[in-house]
Amino acid sequence: MEAFRLLELLILVAVLVGFVGLLLRRNLFLKVLAMDVMGSAVVALFVLVAARSGLQSPILTDPVAPEPASASVALADPIPQAVILTAIVIGLSIQALLLVVITRLSRVDPSLDLGSFEMGSFEAGGRR
Amino acid sequence: MPPLSGQTLLIAWLLLPFTAAFLAALLPPLARGLALACCLATAAVAAAILAGALPASLHLLGPYGVVLQPDALAAPFLLLNALVCGAVVLDGWCRPLPGPFLLLLMVLHGGLASAFVAVDLISLYVTLEVVGISAFLLILITRSERSLWLALRYLLISNTVMTLYLIGAALVYLDQGSFQLEAVATAGAAALSLLLVGLLTKAGLFLSGLWLPRTHAEAPAEVSALLSGVVVAAGIVPLLRLSVAVPTLATVLPTIGLASAGLGLLFALVEPEAKRLLAWSTLSQMGLVLLVPAAGGLYALGHGLAKSALFLVARRFPGRDLAGWAGRPLPTGVLVPLWIGSLSIVGVPPLLGFFAKSNLDRVLPGPTGLLLSLLSVGTAAVFARFWSAPLRPSTPPPEAMAPAEPAWSPGVLLLLAALVLLGAREATRSWSPALGPAAAKAVLVLAAGVGLHRVLQPLRRRPWFRLPDLEGFPDLIGGIGVVGAGLLVWVR
Repeated sequence: MEAFRLLELLILVAVLVGFVGLLLRRNLFLKVLAMDVMGSAVVALFVLVAARSGLQSPILTDPVAPEPASASVALADPIPQAVILTAIVIGLSIQALLLVVITRLSRVDPSLDLGSFEMGSFEAGGRR
Repeated sequence: MPPLSGQTLLIAWLLLPFTAAFLAALLPPLARGLALACCLATAAVAAAILAGALPASLHLLGPYGVVLQPDALAAPFLLLNALVCGAVVLDGWCRPLPGPFLLLLMVLHGGLASAFVAVDLISLYVTLEVVGISAFLLILITRSERSLWLALRYLLISNTVMTLYLIGAALVYLDQGSFQLEAVATAGAAALSLLLVGLLTKAGLFLSGLWLPRTHAEAPAEVSALLSGVVVAAGIVPLLRLSVAVPTLATVLPTIGLASAGLGLLFALVEPEAKRLLAWSTLSQMGLVLLVPAAGGLYALGHGLAKSALFLVARRFPGRDLAGWAGRPLPTGVLVPLWIGSLSIVGVPPLLGFFAKSNLDRVLPGPTGLLLSLLSVGTAAVFARFWSAPLRPSTPPPEAMAPAEPAWSPGVLLLLAALVLLGAREATRSWSPALGPAAAKAVLVLAAGVGLHRVLQPLRRRPWFRLPDLEGFPDLIGGIGVVGAGLLVWVR
């Protein structure tokens, strides 16, 4: 169980690193990458949660045979695995959408600096 | 053929918007009709829930499957979803709409409907992401450079908090072995605060909701109406469900709601721009929805209808700046919705907003009730700024504008009719002698609000009369961090 706690801690540190990157980086592309770091850490967390009870994927190979051997093998929990599969797909599509928008934004400012979008040339009223 | 069961009907209703969106992509001329049909179906389901004709909960695919709860809590939100989406479709009936607008509207409608009835963490995650992505694409609909940045900002924030939410869900599963909302009650403080940060940000509440004003104010008018009317409710419904299921949240969520109401009000009072004022008021009103779970649905319904009517007429405001508002006459089709919508939000009888507010007043204990009245005075002062505009005498439109827009948008009319008729329905349903003092109180609040407006009006010209700009991107992420850390310390 000690190893489990250590891995969990490392994953949470990775989430925190991603969050801090999102906060501090000025470049939009790096911000999206930081968000992806957080997303990957969450995937790792779900895989870890699924592996708590065992490592073998619970796949029914031969439904007819009574399988005396597999009863002793510790199986992984399929529920978190199924859930994270959905989340990976959603994360990927969001990543793709964000990168498309960033490609378009790079025509406004090729350096993709945050400042030029927040109060840059196309700010409506020039507030702030 | 077996008779149609409630379960089959519900599943068909949930699938309808997505099927319709797919069909609309193949056959674009059908899009308007299909979108309207989806809204009608949702309204019918909401009515059936209120009449008790549908099963209150629905288990799909066994013990680890999905549970849906089309219950009394979800009904007002479903009705709101149907009316606001329907109004937006009707509003654009005579105008060419940009590209895939209606298709995205249907996907958004379907995502929202599922989010309102889902009660497990993972279904909520999926539906909230569907809502987030379709709202992102709707903000992008004008394809201007400004909207690119707004949309990027929206999706980046939304996906970040949903990542945090997912960590919370994983921690709940680790602890409880289940993703049901009831399991959250016994999970740890870390899991609870991560889930709350995600939902609070989605609902646009308090410091984590600071992304809301700029996004809602700068999106196109139809999209603003959708965002402020229903999309924020996608985060509110799970929060209301959580505050019922988790006893430790009984004080936490109302406090955050009050803080959000105060923050939004403060910024709305000093805001110089019309649409941003409406958006800040959304942040404030959503806080009040969170006060009492049982009364929240009606309040959200009243606010959502009025706010989307206001945003829909905002398209025809003579200018965004509120400073010269008194000198610019408005046509009847703008002025009347402006008055009715804002009076309903302020809570003037006999509109729906009044019954929602008096409902809230009745359940709240003394000091909180007093605070609510003070906030209402502030709200009246906020909206009093719109009331100074005179009526433009009706003149024949100049010949140059050949395809003149109709004076009244059918969508706005639908929303106003809903405000008045639902108000009348509430009046007949909850008629009691206690409504008399409540009405007197509403009039007093209105008078006090106008007085406060008179006091504040000369101050607005002073250079020091402004608040710091908290809407830079680092501020938004910082706000999320502060709320998360605060919850972690507070929730035990």
